[in-house]
Amino acid sequence: MLLEIKQLTIEFHDHLVPETVVKNVTMSMEEGEIVGIVGESGSGKSMTALSVAGLLPRKDMKKKGEIWFEGQELLSLPRKELRLLQGDEIGMIFQEPMTALNPTMKIGKQVEESLYLHRDLSRTERRELALSWLEKVELNDSERVYESYPHELSGGMRQRVMIAAAMVAGPKLLIADEPTTALDVTVQAQIIQLLKKINEKNNTAILFISHDLSLVKDLCDRVYVMKDGEVVEHGKSEDVFYHPMEDYTKQLIAAIPVIDLEQD
Amino acid sequence: MKKYKNFNFIMGVILTGLVVLIAIIGCFYTPYDPDAMDAVAKNSGISMDHWMGCDNFGRDIFSRIMEGIRNTFLISLFTVAIGTIVGVLIGAVTGYFGGWLDEILMRINDALFAFPSVLLALVVISLLGTGMFRVTLALGIAFIPSFARIVRSEIKKQVTQDYVESAKLMGAGNFRIIFVHILPNILPVLLSSIMIGFNNAVLAEAGLSYLGIGVQPPDASLGRMLSEAQSFLFSMPWYALFPGTVIVIMVLGFALMAEGITQAQMK
Repeated sequence: MLLEIKQLTIEFHDHLVPETVVKNVTMSMEEGEIVGIVGESGSGKSMTALSVAGLLPRKDMKKKGEIWFEGQELLSLPRKELRLLQGDEIGMIFQEPMTALNPTMKIGKQVEESLYLHRDLSRTERRELALSWLEKVELNDSERVYESYPHELSGGMRQRVMIAAAMVAGPKLLIADEPTTALDVTVQAQIIQLLKKINEKNNTAILFISHDLSLVKDLCDRVYVMKDGEVVEHGKSEDVFYHPMEDYTKQLIAAIPVIDLEQD
Repeated sequence: MKKYKNFNFIMGVILTGLVVLIAIIGCFYTPYDPDAMDAVAKNSGISMDHWMGCDNFGRDIFSRIMEGIRNTFLISLFTVAIGTIVGVLIGAVTGYFGGWLDEILMRINDALFAFPSVLLALVVISLLGTGMFRVTLALGIAFIPSFARIVRSEIKKQVTQDYVESAKLMGAGNFRIIFVHILPNILPVLLSSIMIGFNNAVLAEAGLSYLGIGVQPPDASLGRMLSEAQSFLFSMPWYALFPGTVIVIMVLGFALMAEGITQAQMK
């Protein structure tokens, strides 16, 4: 078992009445598995993912339950030790590739960041590894990209850079928080293909968060459906997609637009 | 880079460069000893021997301006350096971490901010005493609050950006996030406030020396010369005219550079 979330509850305490955004969520992931979390906005799917990444702000927030990652309980881990895992064992890519890259830093430096922090490599070794990952995420002309600034790249290219930056230290778990939402459909498909390839080649487990059930079906082995902070259904993604048990899942599936070519 | 094609910036660099050049030459060569008095040349006007005339002690004004620029420039430079370094540290810590530390430091900052910086410098000088080093220190302390405030608000803006989150997620420490990841992003704003701060420092030094608590005689500074020239404004107007013009050129140069940087940011 790579990741095990047990009875995770997250409460916000910034208002008079505490607000529960994640309720008793339990889920697990094997090594090399692709697991999806689907749900609408505000269903708590991103909160769950962020708490695994150790990115939830500490104040105004109560977290109960346990998150086990490779024999370590993340919620009670001090920040110093958490930092050793972040970027090294756990990588993450964000929804907005436009803002997730530092505008004043060259792409190469940003891809190398986690190597700089976690590996004892020389400058040229870091550069070579970064360049090889820029090639692996199918960025042609990797030398030029390495020397570029983010504003010189398109959205799809930036998301590829983000993936390279998250993968360069060889994490066992990659958290992808709606990585394709901000991209157009053709680029979306390419990114999904890329994630699949990375999973096969490196045996990296991927926690894929999305509101789009059709994407999740294509990519994920198993899927958790979340609503109002709770897991309402989970199972193999094909089972969930073709034989949904819950009304909410059925609604989600019905919400996928179908292009009817026989119109008119 | 774009900003070098900027007319304001280029003019600013030329004017400032000219003034700095004169100051540098002044370190090695002045036509006369700036402190040497000459009873014969006393109160003499512009001539081939004395390009800018002589003051009431017969000291060559051009030589004294060369020395004065150097003193004024150094005081302003270190004033801004103290203000920037301490201001950036305080602003970064308060802006990044927030919380009670932010509250305490910012309230102290507000209290300092409530006094005009020259007045604040006056207080510090009356505690420390006069002299170039102490004047610099006093002005530097007076300049900290404005820098701290600017840096704090800029850092606060950046902290919520995704790239900061993503740096955290890679396991970067707070120190590295502030100084390696965020600071370059606020550099344009910081740079133009440094330029404006430098101008204010030049004027503040001139003001303090004019009041007689800055650079002490016989050392020359631009403000000191202006204050000495005041009594002879009608009998020998060139005495006040030349140091005053140099101050204007210096301030104009830095103002144009700041303007240029701001314009480059807007593009």
